[in-house]
Amino acid sequence: MLISCPHCGPRDVSEFTYQGDGNRVRPDHASTDIGAWNAYVYDRVNIAGEHNEIWQHSGGCRMHLSVTRNTLTHKISSSTPVQAARPTQKAARKSRTKA
Amino acid sequence: MTSTRISMGGRIDRSRVINFTFDGKRFAGHPGDTLASALLANGVSLFGRSFKYHRPRGVLSAGVDEPNALVTIVRDAVREPNLPATTVEIYDGLIAESQNRYPSLQFDVGAVNQLASRFLGAGFYYKTFMGPKIWPLKGTRFWMFCEHFIRRAAGLGTAGLEPDRSRYERMNAFCDVLVVGSGPAGLSAAKAAADQGANVIMADIDARFGGSANWSEETIDGAPASEWASAIVQQLATMPNVRLLSRTSVWGYYDSNTLAALERVSDHKTRPSFGEPRHRHWTIRAGHVVLATGAFERPMVFTGNDLPGVMLASAGQRYANEFGVLIGRRVALFTNNDTAYGAALALKRAGATIAAIIDVRKTVSDTARSAAAECYAELITGYAVQTTEGSKQLDGVRIQQFDGQRTTERERLVEADCLLVSGGWSPAIHLASQAGAHPIWNEDLQAFLPPPPTDKWVGAGAFNGTFDTATAIDEGLSAGRTASGNTKPRKTKSSVVEGYKCQPNPAPVFEIKGKGKAFVDFQHDVTADDVRLAHTEGFTSVEHLKRYTTLGMATDQGKTSNVPGMAIMAETIGKPIPEVGSTRFRPPFAPVSVGALAAERFGDLKPERLTPMHDWHIDHGATMYGAGLWYRPMIYGLKGETVEQAYVREARAVRSGVGIVDVSTLGKIAVQGPDAAEFLDRVYTNMFSTLPVNKARYGMMLREDGFVMDDGTTWRLGETEFLMTTTTANAGKVMQHLEYFLDVVWPDLKVHVTSVTDQWAGAAVAGPRSRAVLEACVSGTAVDNAALPFMGIVHGEIAGVKVMICRLSFSGELAYEVYCGANSGTHVWEALIEAGKPHGITPYGLEALGTLRIEKGHVTGAEIDGRTTAHDLHLDWLLSKKKPFIGSAMMNREGLQAEDRLQLVGIIPLDNLPINGGAHIVEELHESHPSDSIGHVTAMCYSPALGKYIALALVKAGKSRRGSRAFVSDPLRKRFGPVEIVSHHFFDPEGSRLHG
Amino acid sequence: MVDTVSPLEPVLNRGRFANTAAQTGVVISEPAPGSIVQLAAWPDTDQKVREAIASVLKLNLDNSPGAGAVSGHRAAFNIAPRRYLLAEEDEGLAERLLSIVPADVGSVTDLSHGRTAIRIDGEKSEWILAKFFAVDFSLARFPVGQGVSTSHHDIFTQIQRRSETTFDLYVFRSFARSFWRSLCHASEETGYEIR
Repeated sequence: MLISCPHCGPRDVSEFTYQGDGNRVRPDHASTDIGAWNAYVYDRVNIAGEHNEIWQHSGGCRMHLSVTRNTLTHKISSSTPVQAARPTQKAARKSRTKA
Repeated sequence: MTSTRISMGGRIDRSRVINFTFDGKRFAGHPGDTLASALLANGVSLFGRSFKYHRPRGVLSAGVDEPNALVTIVRDAVREPNLPATTVEIYDGLIAESQNRYPSLQFDVGAVNQLASRFLGAGFYYKTFMGPKIWPLKGTRFWMFCEHFIRRAAGLGTAGLEPDRSRYERMNAFCDVLVVGSGPAGLSAAKAAADQGANVIMADIDARFGGSANWSEETIDGAPASEWASAIVQQLATMPNVRLLSRTSVWGYYDSNTLAALERVSDHKTRPSFGEPRHRHWTIRAGHVVLATGAFERPMVFTGNDLPGVMLASAGQRYANEFGVLIGRRVALFTNNDTAYGAALALKRAGATIAAIIDVRKTVSDTARSAAAECYAELITGYAVQTTEGSKQLDGVRIQQFDGQRTTERERLVEADCLLVSGGWSPAIHLASQAGAHPIWNEDLQAFLPPPPTDKWVGAGAFNGTFDTATAIDEGLSAGRTASGNTKPRKTKSSVVEGYKCQPNPAPVFEIKGKGKAFVDFQHDVTADDVRLAHTEGFTSVEHLKRYTTLGMATDQGKTSNVPGMAIMAETIGKPIPEVGSTRFRPPFAPVSVGALAAERFGDLKPERLTPMHDWHIDHGATMYGAGLWYRPMIYGLKGETVEQAYVREARAVRSGVGIVDVSTLGKIAVQGPDAAEFLDRVYTNMFSTLPVNKARYGMMLREDGFVMDDGTTWRLGETEFLMTTTTANAGKVMQHLEYFLDVVWPDLKVHVTSVTDQWAGAAVAGPRSRAVLEACVSGTAVDNAALPFMGIVHGEIAGVKVMICRLSFSGELAYEVYCGANSGTHVWEALIEAGKPHGITPYGLEALGTLRIEKGHVTGAEIDGRTTAHDLHLDWLLSKKKPFIGSAMMNREGLQAEDRLQLVGIIPLDNLPINGGAHIVEELHESHPSDSIGHVTAMCYSPALGKYIALALVKAGKSRRGSRAFVSDPLRKRFGPVEIVSHHFFDPEGSRLHG
Repeated sequence: MVDTVSPLEPVLNRGRFANTAAQTGVVISEPAPGSIVQLAAWPDTDQKVREAIASVLKLNLDNSPGAGAVSGHRAAFNIAPRRYLLAEEDEGLAERLLSIVPADVGSVTDLSHGRTAIRIDGEKSEWILAKFFAVDFSLARFPVGQGVSTSHHDIFTQIQRRSETTFDLYVFRSFARSFWRSLCHASEETGYEIR
């Protein structure tokens, strides 16, 4: 499998590390809302289909990328620098309620 | 079967002779021969005994689809079992053995299984041996008792016990177009793509490129097909944008057009040349793939169809034309289609008598009829082979009239020493199926065909069900152009192909029902009756059928048996074949050596991480210890010392004088940038923005879920520059943790993190006399208490090398860490040793380091095990209340505050005997029935400072148990005894020595 | 001169180690640059950092991924977004960069001891590298000057092409000896020379 690193181009999956669900949004750093933290750390939507994931090109340029991967076919439909694609807190709440 | 070498013809090199042995007997062959062709040329017909019934077996095919002729190759005492003799190239000195026979191939006692074969149907062993209760062996136990004997009776070859010393390698390749298969279609595709300027790799499983062109009797554009093929191969070989891989099976088609291939580089040589691998594993990332993998001929299922002498029609033709071997004198053919008539013509030309052609069809085409006439063969239409005659080889076949369903009366005998069968063709769609293509049933061809090509691969030739060579070449040319991105129509004319031409469509006949064993899967001894039995017993899904009967699960992966098996299943269920469905092919297409998959990743070639002072340690008697990939000194043992004596001596030297230890393996991360201090405040539980330049601070970081992640000291080297140290084991994890937060969570922070672990050599000088050692060798800075207080940093020189010295302590003694550029590490280390000599400086290893830290109750990875909180480890004092930090909210969860959590304690065994890490702590001692654990020992040592064995442990509500008694319980190592639970600060709890 | 020790010292056995056909397809050597430095820019200072490289090393890099340049004993290439690896024969490159790159422009990290440079040269160099790295080293895709960050299992490596047949590999110092051994082992097939 190849993942297209926005910096290095398509590279073998063995150079990458999965770094978690791309849908989660970290509560404000100073937040003490345990519920929000709990949702961030533990709640996951287990999607059969297009999934937003964060990967790190750890065996290459070490940047983080936001990858849309179909969990049924492994097909990667997009991979962009992580910052360009981070969901806002509002959007994340929406996607959770939808799931 | 009386097979012989033909006096002329074939693509073997008759000018050279190759000698080899089979079951100890010497044989001769020629370059270009496979083991199968060479043995057939010598008249050998019996190649092995079958898996379950020990039936005699010969050769069915001429290639990778071979289910029967499996042999063991012995090379340098290493045995490689289960290799099809049809794919093994002979070389001088080759040693081959037949399999699954005892004491010999001709006389095999296991053949008695045939007498009991009525009882040995699918699932026999499990049904018989797992059910009954025969005291004292009940159910599963009885099975386990019997299994030993069953395993000896059933099976294939035996692996050897000698280690395989061959070299295996992995290789990466990239290309625009990968062409799999080099028959007329594949060659045309490769040429077309290469002409477009594409980077092309063409791989073929055989030694010789050309595929069917090597054995067909056609002419292409006026030249014999094989010459036409060699001419193209020669052109391709000179093109710089083409890589040709022969003896290479493309065995896996993975995501993103990544394909796996195995190149058998030196299997065909008596000895590989120096440095040459046996197998090379290719990972090929292809822009496009052209699948020109051809098709496999199918056998027919009838009683005794496994007798040596029964062979696929195309195989007979291939042996004659490619290997110059006539597989029988008097040949009969049994077919349901016209392609076999071509084989009859070839065999006739090679000198055989064609006794009869038995065709299940009542009427046959004119093409077939005239071909039969041309080889003077009796054409018997509307008949089928009922059974074979002969014990170890074919004498003849009994045939009967056939109405499409069953045979009836009018039996007659056809004498023949060889029966060529053809049950139609199955395109080799394995790779497309692996790539996710769902095959489509084609009623005309009675075969599964690939679906239309995708944007990643395109097919050509017999793979597509195209059996006409001229059309296959056209498809190849188009495929090559399409794959290299040219969509314009082709202008060149089609090739002119002359030779026997026919319609390949077979009659829908797969099985001739009769009495006796009719094999579907030859290699796993699965019969047509087994398939029906499976259905009777309720295994109606094709996937269940496969697993219950093991049909198609042998090393040949059912290349000849899948479609017939499915057809019989479909008939039994009463559904058309496409509704029964086909199973999805999975990698590998052909067997892959495990050595090639492991390649360089074994033994000595596992990478080692060495510290700058590694060679010094070895030269000075250190016993090295693997810590992850790092190698660190465990002890510097003196002659006759035990490990314990050595570390006790080393640790005592630190407490009483001075010691030196290599700390270069500590993870070191440069944290740089205007926001570095702010970043560290967020990452660490304690404050770093208040740390003055040239000061260090001990810090702890938590994970997002509030558990402790790592600890270490971080040094402030400048306003915007910090040097973070991590534990050796967590260096990589912490680095990724920091990168994640900078990249994903706080991209607004201007901070760079870089691994500088390898930039610095580190030596910790510890003990009451450590300052004296530094004073003796450091220049350019003072190191007294005023210039270098606890946690202070100074910059100076040792022996002409710039050093950075921080006064910090892991041992609880007055101690310093001296850092310098790694390439000068040994130089500085030796200077420190020299300066320390008057003070009796003692190098110490990991064991002493561990002892000193256990005495102090400092935690490491054994305690920071991912399940402990700062509170559990009594590190609450590091938790800042002035700021949020990673994990600060989550660590306050109720469950993490509970007082009955495992907490760090000290343990003193009251019998003063050693206890092991991992031993349990219990409240009551019952040696035979261990009671509930209240915790476990994490680290243990003999403490020279306390003069007894001590340990650290994580114990439920440990803090409140201090001063109480408990027991150690270690049933596995039979260590039981009373202990006292104490504070983890065993030695100098006030820390007075540190400031000395 | 201070006694510095290359991690390769015990394995750097100069000489020809030919294959069966008496060929040496590659030459492996340790260029041992005096300075290896990482220079990292902030999102808005990448241009300034490349200007700094141009002024100190006289090497001009464009802003494409992996862009690099070599000239004699000076080399620079992009290893990650806004990060560059620089090498020079002389020591002290980090100090010279620090004097013109303040913290708000970028970060200078001295890796002169932390990375070991290994050079592989010869007509078989692409073939040998293909045994280790899943990177297309063909000249068309990986031109002279171009750099890449990749890894061989645990061994993180930054590679720059110096010429059609020459590549410089920068590996972590602690792995250098192990990697060197693997490189020699892999080169037995083509034959090699250690220089």
